[in-house]
Amino acid sequence: MRSNPRIPGRRLFRFPWRTAAQVAADVDEELRFHLDMVAQELVDAGWPTEAAHAEAVRRFGDLEGTRKQCSALDRRKETQMKWMQWLEALGQDLRFAGRQLLKSPAFTFVVVLTLALAVGASTSIFSVVHGILLKPLPFGQSDRLLWVKPLTNGEAGGTLSYPNFSDWRDASKTVAQAASFHPGSINLSGDSGDPERLIGMYVNAEFFSVLGIEPLAGRWFAPGEDKPGGPAVAVISEVLWERRYGRDSGLIGRSIRLNGAPFTVIGIVHRKEQFFDVAEVWIPLGFTYENLQQRDSVYLGAIGRLAPGATLKEARSEAKAIGERLARQYPEANTGYSMDLEPLQTYLVGEVRTQLLVLLGAVLFVLLIACANVANLLLVRATAREGEVAIRSALGARKGRIVRQLLTESIVLAVLGGGAGVALAIWMTKALVALAPAQTPRLDEVAVDSPVLLFALGITLVTGLLFGLAPTIQASRPNLTAALKEGARGSRGRASTRARNTLVVAEIALAVMLLAGAGLLLRSFARLQEVPLGFQAENVLKLHVSLPSSRYDDDAKLQVFVDGLVERLQAVPGVQSAGVTVYGLPLTGGVNVWSFTIAGRPPVPQVQEPIMRAGVATPGFFETLGITVARGRALDARDREGATPVIVINEAAARRYFPNEEALGKRIILSPDNPDGMEIVGILRNFKQNALAQEIEPQMYLPYAQSPMPSLAVVVRTASDPAAVTAPVAAKVHELDPELPVYAVRTMEEVLALSSAQPKFYMLLLAAFALIALLLAAVGIYGVIGYTVRQRTQEIGIRMALGASRERVLRMVVRQGLTLASLGAVAGLLGALLATRGMQSLLYEVSATDPAIYVTVAVVLVAVAAVASWLPARRAAGTEPLLALRGQV
Amino acid sequence: MSKSSLDLLHGTVAVLILKTLTWGPLHGYDISRTIRQRSNGALGLEDAALYQALHRLEHKGWIEAEWGLSENNRRAKFYRLTDEGRRQLETEVSSWRAYVEAVSMVLETA
Repeated sequence: MRSNPRIPGRRLFRFPWRTAAQVAADVDEELRFHLDMVAQELVDAGWPTEAAHAEAVRRFGDLEGTRKQCSALDRRKETQMKWMQWLEALGQDLRFAGRQLLKSPAFTFVVVLTLALAVGASTSIFSVVHGILLKPLPFGQSDRLLWVKPLTNGEAGGTLSYPNFSDWRDASKTVAQAASFHPGSINLSGDSGDPERLIGMYVNAEFFSVLGIEPLAGRWFAPGEDKPGGPAVAVISEVLWERRYGRDSGLIGRSIRLNGAPFTVIGIVHRKEQFFDVAEVWIPLGFTYENLQQRDSVYLGAIGRLAPGATLKEARSEAKAIGERLARQYPEANTGYSMDLEPLQTYLVGEVRTQLLVLLGAVLFVLLIACANVANLLLVRATAREGEVAIRSALGARKGRIVRQLLTESIVLAVLGGGAGVALAIWMTKALVALAPAQTPRLDEVAVDSPVLLFALGITLVTGLLFGLAPTIQASRPNLTAALKEGARGSRGRASTRARNTLVVAEIALAVMLLAGAGLLLRSFARLQEVPLGFQAENVLKLHVSLPSSRYDDDAKLQVFVDGLVERLQAVPGVQSAGVTVYGLPLTGGVNVWSFTIAGRPPVPQVQEPIMRAGVATPGFFETLGITVARGRALDARDREGATPVIVINEAAARRYFPNEEALGKRIILSPDNPDGMEIVGILRNFKQNALAQEIEPQMYLPYAQSPMPSLAVVVRTASDPAAVTAPVAAKVHELDPELPVYAVRTMEEVLALSSAQPKFYMLLLAAFALIALLLAAVGIYGVIGYTVRQRTQEIGIRMALGASRERVLRMVVRQGLTLASLGAVAGLLGALLATRGMQSLLYEVSATDPAIYVTVAVVLVAVAAVASWLPARRAAGTEPLLALRGQV
Repeated sequence: MSKSSLDLLHGTVAVLILKTLTWGPLHGYDISRTIRQRSNGALGLEDAALYQALHRLEHKGWIEAEWGLSENNRRAKFYRLTDEGRRQLETEVSSWRAYVEAVSMVLETA
């Protein structure tokens, strides 16, 4: 009989592997035998014994060298064979595992599907977390970039004034370079295309070099170009370059019209390297309409780059010191001032961080539950295979070998599930990115790339080991005699039952935690939807028009345009009313806050003056949005230029600033130029101004006619579908001025939907995970109860033969399921109490410990558990006692 | 033993060992003795070279070793030819013959 000749030295039985010392000893023994034989030969020929030995060694040649070389060769061979045998065993294990899994296709399918779902969901959420939270920003040495956080009385603000910025920059030694900027809308007109409204950035000269990026073409701003009166130069985005100029390389050096004035294009920003990804044009800070000299004019964002060798900690304490010095130096503008820094990435990711981490936590819970489920299935299977394992041990398979075989099976399952999971993840990640709210930062960075694949591989192997461990431990302690004697039936009930029960309880606990989290978000979202808006969003269309100061250079021209527009819009068929506001449209951002004083009250220092959101509006604005008056009157046609200056405020303003008196008739002073101020003629009912979750703030409206401004938000109310009047409305704007871009056209219902898109998205995802978790937990309970019922068939048969009723059997089995469910629910609720604390910032008017949610979750879970154990219980109750007793079921 | 024995050409040791083992498993001492006897002492194979070659051939998988008992009841390492070694011997022998033939032709025409 020939063994396989390809594998050198392959034997049926192999001695245990030899150590290096044993190898050397073997070589020595072999050589000693040879020398002894030669010496014996010589002694036989008449040599004296001693001389014979010396002669044998002499004849041998290089004895020492031979010893060394032979040992080295043998050691190499030993290692080689160890590997060969390992690979061979692995091949055996894999083939065997494959056969075992093919033998039970239903089991394999359920396990692979469970794992694929869990690994797929985890991987796609991780790809989002990786893209948004972990991947470095696309800038040079982006971990050295800082965001500047000015503080007032310890409260963080987003922006700072130019004098405070430049004083900090000049004094700082830990920050090598710093940039300041603010966004603004810029009209692009001229060339061949339609006039467009672009999002622009006013930036200082160092802006791009702080980011550490190179232009795609052309150059950045030169030092000094950002001073007021500097050259009219502009940098544009790759997106704009492509969209409007077809990547014309001749654009650099050419002139384009921005806000009605000529600017020379000097550079193009790579689309992947934008700091503020919707910006399309950058112009020097010197062109800003804001005041660069005033220390209390606070509107600039600022970033900095850490100096070589400096640490964030040093830079932060330095910023604090400089900020506090600025507070002492300029007490009027800087009361309570201080400064802080944070990594730019942390700032950019902002609040999304908590949401993503909650999602990641949730999805890893799902993964754990899936693990527990699969472990349970494997445990049941392992028990069923006890006989097989026992026979193999009895035939001499070592414990390690059996453990390895079982682990191989688990890993094969994990790899199959993981592979399917990755395929699923690619699809799910695309779906996530498509469905994610548009406000999510860095969404374009999300992809299933190599770190994400590595993560998938990691969790696949870890889950394989995790769920493979329990059955392996069980199988490695086989009780041979019992297993062989009794076949496979219930030979070792206790330990394995306890293991299965523990897993199910853990699974239920995790599911409860997820359900609680999802429940909280769901309730919070429902609360958000119930928030009274205070205005009517149905059948309202809004759009924006900005009147360039180059042509609309006085109040009269603005007024003429607005009057003409409102009149024309009201004539459009289907339009019921129309109005214009500036800084007054709810839920659309664009906040304007003014400080004011109240006539007749003692004067206070300027920095302590109260502040209020301020907008201007035409009379039709309130009618169109359905904002109603609580007391007094709304603004109306009487409030023209030259008439008595008037103002309306909302209830929040009346309550805050006139707490114990009637606000109507009081006068509000906005500027020393008008010491008489404006009379409050009406109190508006409150309406939501910002995101739905935010508090209603004090707000005032001035008549447009008494304070015209150029950035118009236009609203029209229609009889039916508001989107249908988009074209006629835009036509009316162009009738008045063909050069004006009409932008940000949306129905107010769309605006409303957008404002709650983010909480909705996270709520839906978490709810989906919680449902999967619930389903898996139900399957887990079903599996365990079903298995116990099968094991106890004989016992149940005996009980029934002795007179136990079907109901009694039913109750007994269901009670077992409910016990497990209750234990899990209690553990889960305790866990949820701890875990949901981190979610409080995501919740609107719902406490993270809301008892209603917790009770609901517990009830839902127990109900599901009851159903999941009732199904197998019914089968148990249907047992025919006689058949069961004979063991024929 | 003649001192003028031929120096063994490099690579020849392997063929001699393989050939010797075709008669059955042998330990190193027997292999060395057999080669000496069969060549009538003409081939003086140094023991050091023999043992190094044995271990090299074992490493290559042409021969395999097993501990057994010698005629005088001592533990000795016996080598035996593997299938792969047998094939290797056939190739080596035919190329050796071709070589000898070529050399002889040159020598005879001279």
